[in-house]
Amino acid sequence: MKILLVAEYRDGKLLGSVNELIAFAGKMGAESAMFLVGSDSALPAYAGTLYLADAAACGEFNPDVHKQLLLDVVAREQPEMIVFSHSSYGWDLAPRIACALKAAQVSEVVDVEGDALIVPVCNAKLRRTVKPKTGQTVVTLQAGAFGLADAPVGSPTVEKVAAAGTGKLEFGGYEAAEQGGVDLTKAEVIVSAGRGIGKPENVAMIAALAKALKGEYGASRPVVDSGWVEHKRQVGTTGQSVAPKLYLACGISGAIQHLAGMKKSEFIVAINTDKDAPIGDVADVLVVADLKQFVPMLTEKIQAL
Amino acid sequence: MKILVCIKQVPDMESKFKVAASGTWYDTADLAWRMNEYDEYAVEQAVQLKEQVGDADLTVLCIGGEQVKETMKKALAMGCDRGVHIADDKSAEKEPYQIAGIIAEFARDKGFDLIFTGMQSQDRGSAQVGVLVAELLAIPSISTIVQFTFAGGRIETKRELEGGVKAIVRTSTPALVTCQLGLNTPRYPTLPNIMKAKKKELVSLPVTDLLKVEARQETAKLFFPEKKGGGLVLEGDVGPLADRLIQILKEKTGVLA
Amino acid sequence: MHFEHTEEQRLIRDMVRSFAEKEVAPSAAERDEEERFDRQLMFDRLAELGLTGIVFPEEYGGAGAEYISYAIAVEELSRVCASTGVTLSAHLSLGANPIYLYGTEDQKQIFLAPLARGEKMGAFGLTEPMAGSDAGGTKTTAVPDGGDWIVNGSKVFITNAGEADTYIVFARTDREAEKHHGISAFIIEKGTPGFTFGKKEKKMGIRSSPTMELVFENCRVPAANLLGGEGNGFKVAMKTLDGGRIGVAAQALGIAQGALDAALAYARERMQFGSPICRFQGVQFQLADMATQIEAARLMVYQAAWRASNGMSYSQYSAMAKLMASETAMRVTTQAVQVFGGYGYTRDFPVERMMRDAKITEIYEGTSEIQRLVIGSALTR
Ligand SMILES: Cc1cc2nc3c(=O)[nH]c(=O)nc-3n(C[C@H](O)[C@H](O)[C@H](O)COP(=O)(O)OP(=O)(O)OC[C@H]3O[C@@H](n4cnc5c(N)ncnc54)[C@H](O)[C@@H]3O)c2cc1C
Ligand SMILES: Cc1cc2nc3c(=O)[nH]c(=O)nc-3n(C[C@H](O)[C@H](O)[C@H](O)COP(=O)(O)OP(=O)(O)OC[C@H]3O[C@@H](n4cnc5c(N)ncnc54)[C@H](O)[C@@H]3O)c2cc1C
Repeated sequence: MKILLVAEYRDGKLLGSVNELIAFAGKMGAESAMFLVGSDSALPAYAGTLYLADAAACGEFNPDVHKQLLLDVVAREQPEMIVFSHSSYGWDLAPRIACALKAAQVSEVVDVEGDALIVPVCNAKLRRTVKPKTGQTVVTLQAGAFGLADAPVGSPTVEKVAAAGTGKLEFGGYEAAEQGGVDLTKAEVIVSAGRGIGKPENVAMIAALAKALKGEYGASRPVVDSGWVEHKRQVGTTGQSVAPKLYLACGISGAIQHLAGMKKSEFIVAINTDKDAPIGDVADVLVVADLKQFVPMLTEKIQAL
Repeated sequence: MKILVCIKQVPDMESKFKVAASGTWYDTADLAWRMNEYDEYAVEQAVQLKEQVGDADLTVLCIGGEQVKETMKKALAMGCDRGVHIADDKSAEKEPYQIAGIIAEFARDKGFDLIFTGMQSQDRGSAQVGVLVAELLAIPSISTIVQFTFAGGRIETKRELEGGVKAIVRTSTPALVTCQLGLNTPRYPTLPNIMKAKKKELVSLPVTDLLKVEARQETAKLFFPEKKGGGLVLEGDVGPLADRLIQILKEKTGVLA
Repeated sequence: MHFEHTEEQRLIRDMVRSFAEKEVAPSAAERDEEERFDRQLMFDRLAELGLTGIVFPEEYGGAGAEYISYAIAVEELSRVCASTGVTLSAHLSLGANPIYLYGTEDQKQIFLAPLARGEKMGAFGLTEPMAGSDAGGTKTTAVPDGGDWIVNGSKVFITNAGEADTYIVFARTDREAEKHHGISAFIIEKGTPGFTFGKKEKKMGIRSSPTMELVFENCRVPAANLLGGEGNGFKVAMKTLDGGRIGVAAQALGIAQGALDAALAYARERMQFGSPICRFQGVQFQLADMATQIEAARLMVYQAAWRASNGMSYSQYSAMAKLMASETAMRVTTQAVQVFGGYGYTRDFPVERMMRDAKITEIYEGTSEIQRLVIGSALTR
């Protein structure tokens, strides 16, 4: 089987999701090639052929042109599967390609099972096994579903591609993320402080970790009641109900009133000195450690990534 | 100006789902149904556009059984002028390409200047239909918009990218946009408008007239994911612990990507 | 016979519920605590949504819907905030409806239409210090004077008082006539000289709904504001209350449903003896009783509303519905607090407020005893 991976590039940078594409190819045991509208100066660690179009010439966002470039590569490579990340770039370009190739598109794949693909249904409450009926298939991968144990190595054999034409969409540049009031319910990552932080000065350490993870910080009720953190940030029955991609509970025991507000989070990490703290029942990972040492250490390491 | 907005009826996501006897979809009995959330943004934006340009005719389209008419009435009460119901009791079994094919078949040669859809449905979540419709009609499409303005035949939008970053994208009509959460605050259908919606035109067309394409994929099975077991417990020195956690976050979540 | 809501009724429930949950619920506890009425939220927004004139015809600024839709709206508002529910119910059934039922065409155009559109808010002043259950004891007087009426006296416990613009006030116009006969109804506007407000009640429940005294001191009311003809006041009041009881019954139903929803959610979460308490049959029995009683009350409320919309007699039905729903609300909210245990007794959870709010539904617009009187006398007539 041969698959073509579609990597992404934004604002001058190669996006890290490329590693998940590589991991997917590995998991499929497939031969792969890669396509990227990017730049010479930001090449992925990838041991294979990379069809590289110059983003400076084609535009970072230009679906019509990217579509044409990609279709040309598909024509050359004849892959059975064209794989995107399920991202704002991927879900925009994938249907255009699928339509042109008369191929089935399977979106947000979380797993594979033989020739069938598994996708979430109803906000991930259910799953569906899907079988494409076309010779070629277009696939988008859920972020994080296919991780790599080790960072990929190697350098690609670059094959430059170019396209003529402009396309019907005009890209007017990026707008940076806003810095407004907090809305925990919209945050993808929440790092929450519990009574285990000990004193108000330590809120800063929680906030710093949240920032390093590009998320928001929250708190359990005692921390809010003590006036260390504003109420808007309280998680639980009498605070906010949240369901971020990642919830880090630091020094929080896991009282039901707190759990009610966060247990729907996709991935939960608890940092607690008590190995038997009830938060362990809902946590995917319980780190048994003193948060005062662990949190600054973790923050530092994440910042260094 | 002619505007089309495509909506879908979906179950309330808080519902308790059961796998249907067919084994390939959820059981539709005893579910509360509502308008797909993303489509509410689409309807609101379409109505705002109609209010802006004044002279516009806004059609709402929905594919499904008799029961989807209720959701269409909501769209009519929010301000759509007329409804086109594509009668299909088996719409849930249709894959995105077939749905897009039906819509495109309906919209072709009707001269819609703008088509609004949700960016995805809450149940299937494929995020394909809108873009596919535009491709089939050979008109430009902008997906995942969180801001929309229209002036003199040009539209300017902001697409939502990851991490709160937005991309400014412009194009000319005719065009299609797919709407994302945050685009606007959908209005409530007021009570007098609910009453008036009863009198608006709502025609039903049989799906057989519009379905010209074959399914390109099929569902083999619908199932519940396994429940989270007891989590992993990590102990040891903080340095290696932090490395180990970072590793896990990279593998299991998208947040360090 | 069928028990399904119409499409339109479902859309209305959907709309009111999402408005109630998104906009009304978040401040319900705080408004209760501060005994604060929020006119923008609790009335002006309702007007924008077309709820202030649900049942009145379009020519009078209404939406032309029927009583079941009205009951649904009050129910859904009360499910999250009983104070908002009663604001609508007192405005619509007590303040505006008597004008629709008994007003002249002019009165409907001048007074009803702005009420229905929600530009003005309505209230109803019947109760007096010496005339509670027994409205025949009305002491407030209205004396003719050069074509006008001069009103003197006071009304107590008036919902929406102070905030409302248009008041239906009952006064004795014939001192000689027998108890019930000498009473007349008047439309009196806020700001009329001689019409002031007395003390604001400090209440057990529905604390975000203002309840105040109306004071009339030589208040001059134009003859054109006499409603339903001289001496017909008692009839106006009783007929108004027949409809009003549907509103209170719907309010009680909403409170009960809100309490059941909260109790169910809590019972699923709360762990004791190693399992969620909803796994204990003892708790399930409580929840089962609550749900069953609510469903019975709901059918009665909608039936009364349905009769009202279909031109059938409904006095006895609205009395039964109000009796059933209010007593259900009291029982269900008390039981909900029980399901919550100690947490239910704190103000951190809404069931405490709901239990306080439920009580009033057994009292106003005729106590449970008076409902039994109405039903009993209809049965034995
Ligand atoms: C009516 C009501 C409503 C409530 N609503 C909410 C709500 O909305 N939200 C909410 O959060 N709570 C709420 N609570 C409170 C709830 O019951 C708990 O009391 C609260 O969640 C406990 O907060 P905590 O976990 O931060 O503190 P604790 O339970 O005191 O836990 C502190 C944890 O920190 C750990 N710890 C201590 N030192 C360290 C260290 N150096 N490093 C790492 N770990 C350490 C401890 O082992 C312990 O597990 C409510 C309670 C009531 C009664
Ligand atoms: C918050 C609130 C809001 C209100 N809003 C309004 C309003 O907007 N407009 C308005 O006009 N009024 C309003 N009321 C007044 C309310 O309708 C009266 O309180 C109610 O009718 C009872 O009258 P009462 O309080 O004088 O009690 P009473 O009539 O003194 O009754 C005391 C007790 O005796 C019982 N009783 C009385 N007569 C009999 C009988 N014949 N047989 C058996 N038992 C009997 C009653 O059931 C009750 O248990 C409001 C009251 C409250 C508390």
